[in-house]
Amino acid sequence: MRSRTTFANVALTLLLVPALALAAPANNKKTTAPAGNTGTAHAAFVGKGAPLPQGAKVGWSHAAYENGDCSICHVNKDVKNPGALKASVNDLCFQCHEEFTSVMSRQVKHPPAVERCTNCHNAHNSTEKKLLNADVYTLCNGCHTKIKAIAENSKVKHGALTAGGKCVSCHNPHAANVEKLLVQLPFDLCVNCHSQEGLKDDKGVVLTNFSKLLAANKVWHAPVANKDCSACHQTHGSNNFRLLVEDYPAKFYAPYDPKNYALCFTCHNDKVAATAETTTLTNFRDGSRNLHFLHVNKTERGRTCRACHEVHASPFEHQIREKTPFGSSGWGLNVGWQKTATGGACAKTCHDTKPYSNKTVATKK
Amino acid sequence: MRLDRLSALILMLIAGGAIAPLGVALARVEVGEAVENVDMPTLDGGRAPLLARKALANVIVFFRPDQEHSVETLRRLVGCEKSFAGKPVHWVAVVSDSYPVDQVQAVVKEAGIQMPVVRDEGDALYGKLGVRLHPVVGIVDAKQKLVAYEPFRKINYCELVTARIQYVLGEIDDQQLQAAIAPPRATQGGEEQAARRHVKMGEMMLKSGNLAKAEENARQALEKDAKLPGAYALLGNALAGQGKCADAGKAFDEALKLDPQNAAAASGRQKCAGGGAK
Repeated sequence: MRSRTTFANVALTLLLVPALALAAPANNKKTTAPAGNTGTAHAAFVGKGAPLPQGAKVGWSHAAYENGDCSICHVNKDVKNPGALKASVNDLCFQCHEEFTSVMSRQVKHPPAVERCTNCHNAHNSTEKKLLNADVYTLCNGCHTKIKAIAENSKVKHGALTAGGKCVSCHNPHAANVEKLLVQLPFDLCVNCHSQEGLKDDKGVVLTNFSKLLAANKVWHAPVANKDCSACHQTHGSNNFRLLVEDYPAKFYAPYDPKNYALCFTCHNDKVAATAETTTLTNFRDGSRNLHFLHVNKTERGRTCRACHEVHASPFEHQIREKTPFGSSGWGLNVGWQKTATGGACAKTCHDTKPYSNKTVATKK
Repeated sequence: MRLDRLSALILMLIAGGAIAPLGVALARVEVGEAVENVDMPTLDGGRAPLLARKALANVIVFFRPDQEHSVETLRRLVGCEKSFAGKPVHWVAVVSDSYPVDQVQAVVKEAGIQMPVVRDEGDALYGKLGVRLHPVVGIVDAKQKLVAYEPFRKINYCELVTARIQYVLGEIDDQQLQAAIAPPRATQGGEEQAARRHVKMGEMMLKSGNLAKAEENARQALEKDAKLPGAYALLGNALAGQGKCADAGKAFDEALKLDPQNAAAASGRQKCAGGGAK
């Protein structure tokens, strides 16, 4: 119990540090520590809120501190003896940073920011922008140690964590309208970067331009339509390619093993590939003959999901592919699927043209 | 005798359309279409209706006990379920009867949900509704119309389900529902906010007698938002304090033009006019 409390306190402290940084006024300017700075501060801020020691290289200074009149926040004007704060930290900060009254009324709040702005910000001066007590990555990961471990130990890394705004590119360290303090829903955040030509992963592989892909393909996979990229991708780092949360077969053929399809089965029912006869699990069936089972469930050359389905978007229902990459050169093989009045049909490519009928039971997608 | 009465009652309900026998009910249902009620077996061997006739909102949770997203969702729905306690909301969780009762009971107990759990015999309901993904939450209104069908989302799922229910209950309007579906970007305010921050800071400087800094903040504020009455009022007072009443007067006039009710500008102009400053 005690260790939990301690952990929570530490976590809160670390989380608040970035929050305060963002609260700093826009007119901070690079400067040096003012003369007369003794480096002492109110007891509550010792080691966190005190100005940088005299002579230290100051990157950014708070306008209120720079003014030299400590009584803006403290009971005394005197730099050598500012005394106690005139009000609680957040009440003082919000006097100027008035927008935070509204910001902090959002549904999802960062506990360290609720507790005290100075958990993350130095109200006097700092080496960091936004008057942060440390750089964003260090500050956040000071508490969020599990995220740090994922980010640093995963085989596949996400550049967003170490580039640009780092953590605050996606998270609002104060408060947000979306879980996990996300600034927007995942998709709206992801496309900020993943909608450009030539973006590459950490191995130099060019990544998809999603704005372009989705504009050209009107049938979107449900997580895409629901703006929930994190349903399939682990945004902080993963041991699976493309930051996937679980295994997904990388090739056209794979022996059937539910483990290979762990990603898809996080939402889709695994019985769809394990049941030979059904009238309830899928519409890709001829009568009760389950054609998913027929294609996928083979000990050696089972067709993987990617053989027939796109994962993000496609011009066809059920994200069925127009062409599938086949063979070592990735030759585009036409799938040629067509919807029919009683079910569907695949054109003569992989096999002869074969229609199927699922009309025995009507279902919705 | 009692069994005969029960049978007769069920027949009457079927004839009245209150409960439809499984197998003929729930043919292809899309959002906006009616969902017919069905009577289903419960985990403890009893039976329960899918929909409650008096409920304004029926929430149907389709889940699998061996799936992480389902279990996570059940756990998270506990709070959601509690938040609607005492309201005309009927919750029911539906699970395939292919799972052993013990396994389902263990998951339900661990998650802590209070809603009844019914077993879908032969996956008939799943098949009829075409439920392919798990978990899925369907919401049916008082007219037994399917008004929302929400497959799992990793982010904001419970918030979305809550908003959907609130909307059906009439507790939130269209705009609030849209805000739950597409939450507004959580930003800190931009240039206009920065301008107001400068005004606040300048007012403190003015109060502490640092007129030059107050003026500087007022001008910085106006660079970011040239139509901020408070910034002109601050500028006027900072200038007036420095004895520059002519320039201060122009700033006060601008402030009052933008906001005739601006008290700081009005009192500042009065002071200047009364010789409080040169």
